[in-house]
Amino acid sequence: MSDILLEVKRLKKHFVVGKNFLKRNRAICKAVDDVSFTIKKGKTLGLVGESGCGKSTLGRSVLRLHDITSGEVKFNGVDLFDLSPKELKNLRKEIQIIFQDPFASLSPRMTIHDILREPLDVNKIGTVAEREAKIAEVMEIVGLRPQALNRYPHEFSGGQRQRVGIARALVLDPKFIVADEPVSALDVSVQAQVLNMIAELQESKGISFLFIAHDLAVVQHICDDVGVMYLGRLVEKASAETLYKNPKHPYTKALLSAIPVPDPNDKSIRIQLQGDVPSQINPPSGCTFRTRCPEATERCKEEAPMTHSTGIDGDEHLVACHLYR
Amino acid sequence: MNNLDIEKREPILTVDNLTVDFNTDKGRVRAIDGISFEVMPGETLAIVGESGCGKSVSSLSIMGLLPSPPGKIVDGSIKFNKRELIGLSEKEYRKVRGNEISMIFQEPMTALNPVLKISTQMIDVIRLHNRIGKSEAKRRAIDMLETVGIPSPEMRINEYPHQLSGGMRQRVMIAMALSCGPDLLLADEPTTALDVTIQAQVMTEMVRLQKKLGMAVILVTHDLGVVAESCQRVAVMYCGQIIEQASVQDIFASPKHPYTQGLLKSIPVVREKKIPRLATIEGMVPDLRDMPSGCRFADRCQFAEARCRASSPQLSGAGTHQVACFNPLGEMQ
Repeated sequence: MSDILLEVKRLKKHFVVGKNFLKRNRAICKAVDDVSFTIKKGKTLGLVGESGCGKSTLGRSVLRLHDITSGEVKFNGVDLFDLSPKELKNLRKEIQIIFQDPFASLSPRMTIHDILREPLDVNKIGTVAEREAKIAEVMEIVGLRPQALNRYPHEFSGGQRQRVGIARALVLDPKFIVADEPVSALDVSVQAQVLNMIAELQESKGISFLFIAHDLAVVQHICDDVGVMYLGRLVEKASAETLYKNPKHPYTKALLSAIPVPDPNDKSIRIQLQGDVPSQINPPSGCTFRTRCPEATERCKEEAPMTHSTGIDGDEHLVACHLYR
Repeated sequence: MNNLDIEKREPILTVDNLTVDFNTDKGRVRAIDGISFEVMPGETLAIVGESGCGKSVSSLSIMGLLPSPPGKIVDGSIKFNKRELIGLSEKEYRKVRGNEISMIFQEPMTALNPVLKISTQMIDVIRLHNRIGKSEAKRRAIDMLETVGIPSPEMRINEYPHQLSGGMRQRVMIAMALSCGPDLLLADEPTTALDVTIQAQVMTEMVRLQKKLGMAVILVTHDLGVVAESCQRVAVMYCGQIIEQASVQDIFASPKHPYTQGLLKSIPVVREKKIPRLATIEGMVPDLRDMPSGCRFADRCQFAEARCRASSPQLSGAGTHQVACFNPLGEMQ
């Protein structure tokens, strides 16, 4: 048995936009373009990038929440897109998701108890007593009091609602959780509480995460590997330790440098990117980052860089940039 | 400009004991409980705090934009250039807004009118405060867009807000806010909705413009990283009160309030080596309807003692570093 839990191979998800009724002049938005990675059992991959880089689309593809254009998503060796609806439903027990906005992802008309009970009912897990015991167990894990069960989502603060969202993901004992910006909507002190809770879950339950975020500082705390996305492509991927110590892609460097440092005496020079993220419908030729890249050359315009490993001593450090070839 | 210069001059804005109540279904709630602060000409004051601490209500009160009802200023004064703003009629307030005090909001998409071109919106603002013709106003608007770093402004001005990216929209907001040369700019979470690389661009632009135009800025934010890079003084709010006020150097180097220290410690920063757990502030912000009678932070504070629960500490302290705590950190008991 291999220790690879999730394997994504050359995944593409293209959306057709602006289709007219004769199907002419169709524009294609390459939300996720040729992305490959693996996640080992009990490990966490962080996926970082700016708005519109395709990180959420990728997260949803991994759950088969929508169809993909091409590629493979293998969970425990089984391709998700080969499964029948029934088999898929069975597998969904093992893959869960935590959403960014805990207010939008919890039904306002259901009590916390009903929200947590629903996944167990749908999947017909255990007896009624066992289901109730499971609910009590996850409530304790996420640090909510049992009295909260009879209340509605609007009665809770953002941090508590996110705890409910996490509890709902945990109630089926999943092996893998996609966490789509789970702490972006939270205040710093609450964010730290939730991040610590996720770190504890990794250790105590051995759950693997695909952790999607836009903040590299947040990702460092809970990820083993980190991938950086730009315009639908994975431009760099390495172990967290390597990536923060030795970022290679100019975009990763700029992202790291743009994080405001909470120290007024910090005088390090910022790499400031010019301009905006280009449109995905009509991306620049060659390397898509070249329009904002401080180190772009003629070659970047003509030829898209391939992803290759630059790591030493078996350390996999993937970079898609001409500078490293 | 050094600190001595600032001390000699008169503050441009003086907020004294501002108290704001909201009438809700479940009774009266005090959103702001007697806050006082000053802003000197040309300086940047940061108001920092977590959701619901009253930082946005403070800025809306200064702008005279507090929704009333349910909000009501029940006590205190707001003096701008020695003139009392509380109690001004809507007509008088309109002359102040945009002209002398401007505001930029968090979400530029909701703050801009989606059915009007940028040109229409900007020309309206400029002509409201200046007796000039349309073409003159348009020229000034284009100049302003160029100043905030929008490429090809003469084309961009004819577009609608949805045609611009988030960063561009925020630049348009800044251009609009600055188009009448205000003395004070209120920026309420101006970069929260933006990506980090765009945030860096917009903040650099704001600091540059502030230096160029010499206006004072109140930056309302929850992001202490942004504060460290662009502000001179910081006021930290918790549950409707200012609990610590100091220069940006002092706040970061030696925070005196346990809440400020907790906030600083819980920010995730990129470190050389990963730490196993982030520092947190235990517990949650108390409900505004049910505030503790003593120090509002007492229930979450690891140093709390009996007197913290019995009475409420006042903001005090020698010089420029003030704190509302009976046991300020780093001071001998």
